[in-house]
Amino acid sequence: MGSMTRRGLLALVLLGAAALLPGGCGGDTPKSIKVVIAEYSRDHTRPFWAALAEQYTKQTGVKVDLQVIDWNSIDQQVSTMIQNNQPPDVLNLNSFSSYAKDGLLYSGDEALSPKTREDFLEAFARGGTYRDKLYGFPILASARAFFYNRDLLAKAGVAAPPKTWDELVAAAKRVQALGGGTIGYALPLGPEEAQAEWSIWMWNNGGDWKAGEAWAINSDKNVQTLQFLASLANTHKVTQVNPGKTNRTDGAFQLFKDGKVGMVMGFSPLAAQLDAEGKVRYGVTQMPTNVGAPVTLGVEDYLMAFKKKGNQEAVRQFLDLYYQPEQITRWIGAEGFLPVTKSGRERMSGNEKLKPYLDALPSARLAPTTDPTWDKVKLDVQQSIGAAVQPGGDPKQVLDRLQKNAAESAR
Amino acid sequence: MVIYPAIELVRASLGRYSITGLYQGAVGPRNYVRLFEQEALPAVAGNTVIWVATVVAVTIALSLGLAQLLNESFPGRRLVRWALIVPWAASLIMTSKLFVWLYDYYFGLLNRVMTAMGRAPVDWLGDDRTVMGAMIAVGVFVSLPFTTYVLLAGLQTIPGEVYEAARVDGAAGWRSYRLITLPLLRPALLVAAVLNLIYVFNSFPIVWTLNDRNPGFAHDTMITFMYKIAFKSALRDVGLAAALGVVNVLLILVAVVVYLRAARWREEPV
Repeated sequence: MGSMTRRGLLALVLLGAAALLPGGCGGDTPKSIKVVIAEYSRDHTRPFWAALAEQYTKQTGVKVDLQVIDWNSIDQQVSTMIQNNQPPDVLNLNSFSSYAKDGLLYSGDEALSPKTREDFLEAFARGGTYRDKLYGFPILASARAFFYNRDLLAKAGVAAPPKTWDELVAAAKRVQALGGGTIGYALPLGPEEAQAEWSIWMWNNGGDWKAGEAWAINSDKNVQTLQFLASLANTHKVTQVNPGKTNRTDGAFQLFKDGKVGMVMGFSPLAAQLDAEGKVRYGVTQMPTNVGAPVTLGVEDYLMAFKKKGNQEAVRQFLDLYYQPEQITRWIGAEGFLPVTKSGRERMSGNEKLKPYLDALPSARLAPTTDPTWDKVKLDVQQSIGAAVQPGGDPKQVLDRLQKNAAESAR
Repeated sequence: MVIYPAIELVRASLGRYSITGLYQGAVGPRNYVRLFEQEALPAVAGNTVIWVATVVAVTIALSLGLAQLLNESFPGRRLVRWALIVPWAASLIMTSKLFVWLYDYYFGLLNRVMTAMGRAPVDWLGDDRTVMGAMIAVGVFVSLPFTTYVLLAGLQTIPGEVYEAARVDGAAGWRSYRLITLPLLRPALLVAAVLNLIYVFNSFPIVWTLNDRNPGFAHDTMITFMYKIAFKSALRDVGLAAALGVVNVLLILVAVVVYLRAARWREEPV
């Protein structure tokens, strides 16, 4: 009986203490926060975040459990953390809306100071919005651009990089005709990043992922686009072998870096590697288009703040520290990516190397990352679109199936 | 230590999870029903049988020869014994990546040999007809060291007098190998076969690394399929993947029991 009473008393005291805590508004700050960051490069990612964490701890007394995880396993590791009810406090990833949908995140109003919120470039803030609230805080951006091998194009008698699809086919044929294993256009539609390559082709033919709120993956225009890509591989034969089974990093980029490829769609990290190796003389220009003005793909990655009891103030301080213009700009500059804030854009506008990508930004479009269904559509595209450009592949059938799956997931 | 993860796996297989990994409650056996509705499952199961059976059989056949060789004394035996450990000690991912380069259509050593012989190059890892064979070759390569050493240990337990006695009785060469070596090697063979069965079935890095360029599930085994269900396909479902995990554990248990039964059968009186 005695012990029962004591336990009852203890419970009462604990309840009372809990009631005194200002619900989720800090006051009782955690001893440490877990910060999970994707590894963009070996050289820059960890050093930057470790230094930031150290500065944060000095300022706030809150320790940082920093985990830098490579892109190949970050989805798995984050999923495991959430399964085990040990989510990070701050997470960096290329998707956010599923986490927002599950109610796991603080909104920008809750986790960012007004000054930070107002500094985001409009388009990127929109790209982090779920149901009218900002949950995916832009961390950095990149934009694709059209890379060409100057020497190969000159040797093939192609005076200027192609501006239209017709010119692209003509140029690719001439480069391919040089022989000796030379490839006109390297087309990576393997699982690694097929959705990125596909987005660019789709948009430059006037198609899109969605029409209004509904998925429109198998629109006539998109079927025509995929048939065109299949014809590059199988009719014109101006791509590398098996483009539906070629990844980007160790496939298309590797071939371009080796000087075997006339044209490829790349981004600033590829330029950095080409510069470091100095083997290929290359140019960077806008995407060839089949209708209207050229469009490129912009990619935005996110920071998310997970709702955990008492961590709100600690998380807000951490994010505000990262979003200080000198911090975010230093890191984005080191990694070779593009700014997501107004102050960052001002600071980086003088950078000659980033010029082609900064110029491309106004014509850049984002994948529909604000729709949680996208997180599944993206994976579905990665695992199936390559089959459409293999010999005997059926572009319409592949897109019909993607559309059906997307419509089902959206329900 | 073994029980807890097993319980967790079963529990996960009976749950519904959001794409983020968030647990959304129990759903009973629904994940198992959905698993057996997966269109890709029959092909994946077929791949798994081919992968496991071929790798284990070829590995044991080659290891028998290698063990026999290493049991003889010849100059440089020490060196060969050490060299054989290399593929064992190297990380599976590194070994797999090395093979990705050997098999590469444009840069690979294998295609250089092909063209030097006047043959057309082959996209070993992209061509549906050659992917499985290419993976099996790597599977055998990394399984050889362990298997060879198990069999070599077995060979060394066979006393020399047995062979002498046999020679007196007029048995030599192949006959002596078949009638004496193989029967006395049975315990080592059993160990090698069962451990390889489990090991090759559960092998992830080789199939994952060599097959990562191919879209869909046409060359997956049960293990890589499980990973794709959880993280790399439109399903993205931890519960469904856990159901496949439970099925995998049961399958391997059944396979081992069936194998041991079959092996013991032959032990019965001649």
